[in-house]
Amino acid sequence: METSSFHSQQKWNIGFIVFLTLLLALLSQISIHLTLITVLGISLGFVLQKSRFCLVSALRDPLLLGMTQLTRAFLLLLGISILGFALVSWGASQRNIPLILNVFPLGVHTVVGGVLFGIGMVLAGGCTSGILMRIGEGFAMQWVAFFGLLVGVVLGERSVINWRNVFGESPGIFLPDIFGWVPTLILEISSLLALWQLASWWQKKQLGE
Amino acid sequence: MKKTLQTIIHGPWAYWIGAIILAVLNILVLIVRREPWGVTLNIENWGEWIGTTLGMLDDQGFTFKELMAASGTYLNLGLILGAFWATLVASQVRFRPIRDKKFLFSALIGGLLMGYGARIAYGCNVGALLNGIASSSLTGWIFAIAVFFGTWLGSKLLLRYLM
Amino acid sequence: MTRFSIEIWGEMCPIPLIKAKKKLLSMQCGDILVLETEHSCTSRGIVVWSKANRYIIEEKEVANGIWHLELTKTHD
Repeated sequence: METSSFHSQQKWNIGFIVFLTLLLALLSQISIHLTLITVLGISLGFVLQKSRFCLVSALRDPLLLGMTQLTRAFLLLLGISILGFALVSWGASQRNIPLILNVFPLGVHTVVGGVLFGIGMVLAGGCTSGILMRIGEGFAMQWVAFFGLLVGVVLGERSVINWRNVFGESPGIFLPDIFGWVPTLILEISSLLALWQLASWWQKKQLGE
Repeated sequence: MKKTLQTIIHGPWAYWIGAIILAVLNILVLIVRREPWGVTLNIENWGEWIGTTLGMLDDQGFTFKELMAASGTYLNLGLILGAFWATLVASQVRFRPIRDKKFLFSALIGGLLMGYGARIAYGCNVGALLNGIASSSLTGWIFAIAVFFGTWLGSKLLLRYLM
Repeated sequence: MTRFSIEIWGEMCPIPLIKAKKKLLSMQCGDILVLETEHSCTSRGIVVWSKANRYIIEEKEVANGIWHLELTKTHD
């Protein structure tokens, strides 16, 4: 029974490649920028699925299962991104290109939101990018989660103003503004290295070397 | 050589290879888009639009045309298409239905909590955690600690109600 | 050399692995645990976990997007 129930889907694959090419060709007539973005989106989805990268697993498994391989891969992703973002924002400021970074305001609702988000993603079986990826993989469960997400986001949008009024919020703190670029990068990368060490120590301890 | 090609097409790739390529793509998104990769904000705009179109919400937000011109739409759509394609090249496409009712409820509740939490914290795992930290924002680190604590609570709930 | 199997069909991550962990505790050395799943991440997760625990694991794709796993308990 091992190979008999396995059917190649290569025909569909070729059809889908044709479809993607046509879609991108059509889009490139409207906007090159959006075409590039779509290509990047497709690549992100492809790599997420192929490497089975799951941010829920990276955050959940250290405590639940004592596994930290994916956590360490996530730390690597963070490290490269920090350096890359620093380089890009330096380059942009040299050429006076406007660049927005994700420096968000800080308040009680950041922490509350984070905790709720953490609980939600374990129950839903994927974070927001994971849900989109698993919809692509064909899971029905994540369609339901996506519907919940749509409703939840709209509810959150309606109530964030109340959180702000009751608890207040401070503007986001951009670390290089306080410490300067080089000390910030040293601080962040060494924190990640320390977390890496902690993660590998934790796995060794949990699996009993 | 043939074996390498087989692994590339069929997967799974090692986690660290995935991490490096994702990091490069993440930086490329920042360069092209001039703002970091994010998922939730665009989903929110679509949610508002769907609600308004169905007559359930009253929102002055985005028109359909503006949404179709927003880069976030194409990132999210591309993500779904890319993940589908990745399963298709390996001939692993199949419909995976919900086989137990408990997952219907957990997905719905989880999705709701996730959406609400992501909106009041201004971002999800990608926008606020990954790219918050990558942007050297203190908020990103605090959000990461909160999410880590949340997943621990979520695991407790999962062990109790879903096992 | 007994073969055991547990029902994890349709279960979401990380439930299959937790169930497998529990089952392994009641098994003897040399016993085999058979698992089948359609979740790519679950299959991958079990393989990574088994390797980290130095168990023998065999992963085979038996149909489109269905993975058949055989885990041999090599030590206590």
